[in-house]
Amino acid sequence: MKRNEHRSKDTKRRTTLTLPARDLLHAERIARSRKVNLSTVVAEALAEGLRVQAATERSEEVLNSYRQAFGGFSDRDVMLLDGIVLDPPERRR
Amino acid sequence: MIDPASGPLLFDASAESWLARSREPAVHDWLARYLRHHQVNVSVVTIVQRIRGYALLWQRAAEDRRAAVEAARVAYLQQLGRVRGLDAGTAVVAGELMALLPHPPTPPRRAHQLVESREERLARWRFDLLIAATALVTRMRLIHNNAEDFEAIRGAIERSPQRFPGMGPLELVRCTLVV
Repeated sequence: MKRNEHRSKDTKRRTTLTLPARDLLHAERIARSRKVNLSTVVAEALAEGLRVQAATERSEEVLNSYRQAFGGFSDRDVMLLDGIVLDPPERRR
Repeated sequence: MIDPASGPLLFDASAESWLARSREPAVHDWLARYLRHHQVNVSVVTIVQRIRGYALLWQRAAEDRRAAVEAARVAYLQQLGRVRGLDAGTAVVAGELMALLPHPPTPPRRAHQLVESREERLARWRFDLLIAATALVTRMRLIHNNAEDFEAIRGAIERSPQRFPGMGPLELVRCTLVV
């Protein structure tokens, strides 16, 4: 099972992409300067872009949960949620 | 201004709710950028405080409001981030802090004819000591909106470094100053 997972992670597929000419030229310049092929540069850029996209989505998910978790409460309610328990004096022991 | 990429922070309950409720776009943007780089780290003690708070709120709420409180509690639990537990190291540091600082630095809170009991204040203080110990042991800066308590703890650690060998200082970030 592990071997299959490892293999699928490393598997590469050939495809055809249509890219903005300016970005492609930029990638080719980087590939030449680093002495690697164009696929390597494009793959790295894609991986980084996907990582940023995933982080942004995760960030939005957390912020949405926060809005639900803390929105709609009064300041006094939030004090309670923060661990500050206030009562009328007569309720005190 | 605190660089949101500069390192993971341990979030005290006071900071988490303040940041989440802020209407300042700059604060919202700071939190969004922080979350792109790091998880929210919380002490397990913060979860105890928070869940107790939701439970008390639910108990005190009118019947028609309870579903909203429960939905908020579930939303909170869905995004806990990374929870830092209490281990032996944290227990040792917390025990030292409790001996150094047996009493809270400020009196019980009051607001609109409501008061915090002395027992509640002491419990909250001890929770803060446990959270500060967690920040020290995990070597994370502690982001908070409770300067009275955490500055007192920071000062005590600085005055008694021999009780905390290889630890500290307690690094604090006040959430109202992140932007």
